[in-house]
Amino acid sequence: MAVRPLGGGECSHLMWKCHALSGSFFKAFCVKNLPLVVVSQALAPEPADVPLEEDLHAAVEVLRAHGLHSALEEWFLEVLQMDLQTRISPEFWSGVSQCENTAEEAQSSLLMLDAFSLLWRRLEPYLRSLALMEGWTQEGLLLGTGAQPLRAKVHSLLRAVLFFSTPHGFGEMVRQFYGRSFKIYMWRKRSRESRTSEGESGMSEDHQAESEEEEEGLGVPPRTGSQCAGCGCQRERCWCLTAVEHFQQLNSILQRLNLLELVSADAVTSILHQMIEERMERRCQGEYERSFLSEFHEWIEKVIGWLSQVFLQSDSGTSPSPEANRTFKRWRCHVQMFFYRQYASMRIEELFSIIRDFPESKPAVEDLKYCLERTSQRQQLLSSLKSALETRLLHPGVSTSDIITLYISAIKALRELDPSMVILEVACEPIRKYLRTREDTVRQIVAGLTGEAEGSSDLASELSKADPVTLENGQESEDDASDPEDWVPDPVDADPGKLSSKRRSSDIISLLVSIYGSKDLINEYRNLLADRLLHQFSYSTEREIRNVELMKLRFGEAQMHYCEVMLKDMADSRRINANIRDEEQKLPEEERPLFDLTATILSSEFWPPLKEEKLELPEEIKEAMEAYSKKYEKLKAMRTLNWKPHLGLVNLEVELADRTLALSVSSVHAAIILHFQSKEVWTLEELSEVLKVPETPLRRKMTLWVQQGVLREEPPGTFTVIEEQQKDRAEKVVLIDSDEEGDSATASQADQKEEELQVFWAYIQAMLTNLESLSLERIHSMLKLFVMTGPMVTEPDLQELQGFLQKKVRDQQLTYTGGVYRLPKSGT
Amino acid sequence: MKVKIKSWHGVASWLWVANDENCGICRMAFNGCCPDCKVPGDDCPLVWGQCSHCFHMHCILKWLNSQQVQQHCPMCRQEWKFKE
Repeated sequence: MAVRPLGGGECSHLMWKCHALSGSFFKAFCVKNLPLVVVSQALAPEPADVPLEEDLHAAVEVLRAHGLHSALEEWFLEVLQMDLQTRISPEFWSGVSQCENTAEEAQSSLLMLDAFSLLWRRLEPYLRSLALMEGWTQEGLLLGTGAQPLRAKVHSLLRAVLFFSTPHGFGEMVRQFYGRSFKIYMWRKRSRESRTSEGESGMSEDHQAESEEEEEGLGVPPRTGSQCAGCGCQRERCWCLTAVEHFQQLNSILQRLNLLELVSADAVTSILHQMIEERMERRCQGEYERSFLSEFHEWIEKVIGWLSQVFLQSDSGTSPSPEANRTFKRWRCHVQMFFYRQYASMRIEELFSIIRDFPESKPAVEDLKYCLERTSQRQQLLSSLKSALETRLLHPGVSTSDIITLYISAIKALRELDPSMVILEVACEPIRKYLRTREDTVRQIVAGLTGEAEGSSDLASELSKADPVTLENGQESEDDASDPEDWVPDPVDADPGKLSSKRRSSDIISLLVSIYGSKDLINEYRNLLADRLLHQFSYSTEREIRNVELMKLRFGEAQMHYCEVMLKDMADSRRINANIRDEEQKLPEEERPLFDLTATILSSEFWPPLKEEKLELPEEIKEAMEAYSKKYEKLKAMRTLNWKPHLGLVNLEVELADRTLALSVSSVHAAIILHFQSKEVWTLEELSEVLKVPETPLRRKMTLWVQQGVLREEPPGTFTVIEEQQKDRAEKVVLIDSDEEGDSATASQADQKEEELQVFWAYIQAMLTNLESLSLERIHSMLKLFVMTGPMVTEPDLQELQGFLQKKVRDQQLTYTGGVYRLPKSGT
Repeated sequence: MKVKIKSWHGVASWLWVANDENCGICRMAFNGCCPDCKVPGDDCPLVWGQCSHCFHMHCILKWLNSQQVQQHCPMCRQEWKFKE
């Protein structure tokens, strides 16, 4: 027995007392002809001869006179317990098991109601007695039962004895019963609504769609099919109304027995959860472009209407008790909370996709924000988003530009979601970390900034936004930030080490730039700009000027100084060329140069280091350049020009016996073909000698001419001019090495790094001369010790140093044996 | 075969014809500009003294202005005279 109304000792004490006094006790009752009326009458199944209240009152007075009134309540509980155990409970459960064995739902629902009605009939007399006794207690006739009132004791007794062990199927049955009533309720409500709206203005489209969807969810089309959507039976046998009646009766019985929550809570909860989940899955999964909150609020109000039927018996007409009201309120909160949690969880699961679709998925973000404010799911959001990012984004299969694009939408979306930016900061840290490991990140960001990147123009438009936050003095002072009244504390998961104002000022560009720091970015931009300027020889720099101006607003004048000089060089070159052209025009016809030579003149200190390649140009070109230099020297006193022969763009016409080709080629290509004028057959070796270009890159350059059908390679290593095109040969396809890494005019990052490390080479040589052999780690630590590092020279890291030394080994300037580096023995 | 060049667009960098790389006053490259200037070349020219030393014009002018008594070349201490 789970709960006994009395302790064992107390009980036996009572028994003894009863015995001792039994004589007078019974006499008293016999005299009054009311032997234990309270009990016996209550026990009687047929409450035909209910004693009058006055009689009972008198009986109590007698008991009181004999000092027995203190035992009355305990005795009442004893009797109730006995009766429950021996009679009421088995009877009830056999009724329940009966309906468990019934297959038909309507039948079992009826049987269930019967079982509960029987229970009610059995218990009703007890409850009446209870009310009486409560009255007496108030009058002071009875002593009361201490801290716990009698009613509470009776209720717990009921619960304890009746539901001490429930058969397996009971919960399922209750759930079925409530589920059915829920469906009927919702369906009736809906059909009532659609009827009214039809009456008013015809069914709105929305509504139609809604009901259709809903019906689909229930699996039964009500209008067309022969089944009722509420009860799922044939129309003619629809028992909706009966079911509703059963439902109301059962609820009121349970309410009166105070068993309502005990019996129905599980069922109601699981029905609501299931319904909410199903509906959510059906309605909003994968659908981010509209907000579902208000729609769900409406729906939930309907659900709450059903709940009020359960807990308030709102249709019964009586005003509900305050306790029932409290319960109902609790349930209402529960349903809303559950919905918010569920919705937030779903959106959190989908957050990655939501971010991906961001500007379109804004309603979903706003919904999620609303829910997050009510539930505490930030941690869930963070960990889920982090892992989604890691599995879906941060792996080698995703291109850097896609990662950057997603990061940008993440910034936008999460800024919307959490204005304090903490989520953004925490969740996107992995992206930033990962981007740092990608080599082309800076290049992609710069490309994005200048509007070069295919696909996303986000960054470019962000850059041209008015009133940008400059990066140098981005954080304004704390006090002028905003009204102190509006101050909101940082969320708990914020990193306390960082200023909130700094976090809040985050705009997209500064966030992206801060992955690397603006210095890297500017350098990369400079390289990109140099490349662009050296490849387009049209001097049209409007777009670049605009970009540089925009970037100046962001990064400050000082940073963009180099780029400005580069652009100015372009303008100056144009002027100088025009000047020189004018000079030439004044010359007599025969002294004019054979071709038009123009130049881009660079201020070498301000351009990124250009790739140094050797190329010996043909005499006539060199002469023309010489002449140009002379004119330049005349124009700018004490200055001269240093030509970069390998850079340049040449427009030329190749006249062959049967055809003429007009082409724009690089200076190397031009130099090659010019040599074929004087001699029709060249070997690669000879050409390499004349042009001073190593054979491998030279061969790559040759392919252009072979592909154009101007030269043919036969036998390998020997090139001959094809004066007359032979039809059968023309179809020969030559694969071009598209790996034109020579395309970039600026030295690659790796080359620049090597250049930097070259500074250390003298030190390393000296070390090895003195100490003969050293391991990589020793060299590294000694360099750290002895070499001053300044702004120009940064400390090399171990890996870079290793790469550098390996290269020296390949170039045979070092030997590497047994884990140590040595200088090669001279003379061997 | 005949190749006719219609136009040749080359790339060159300009440099000062000086016997040193850096300005002896500001230690910046001649091909760059003095610390006060932003743009090299025409806007920040070099000047030569009769002693054959050369400096950024702005640098040597500043130096000369700071000299109270006599104006010397900061490198060789000879009297500074601009080369004609």
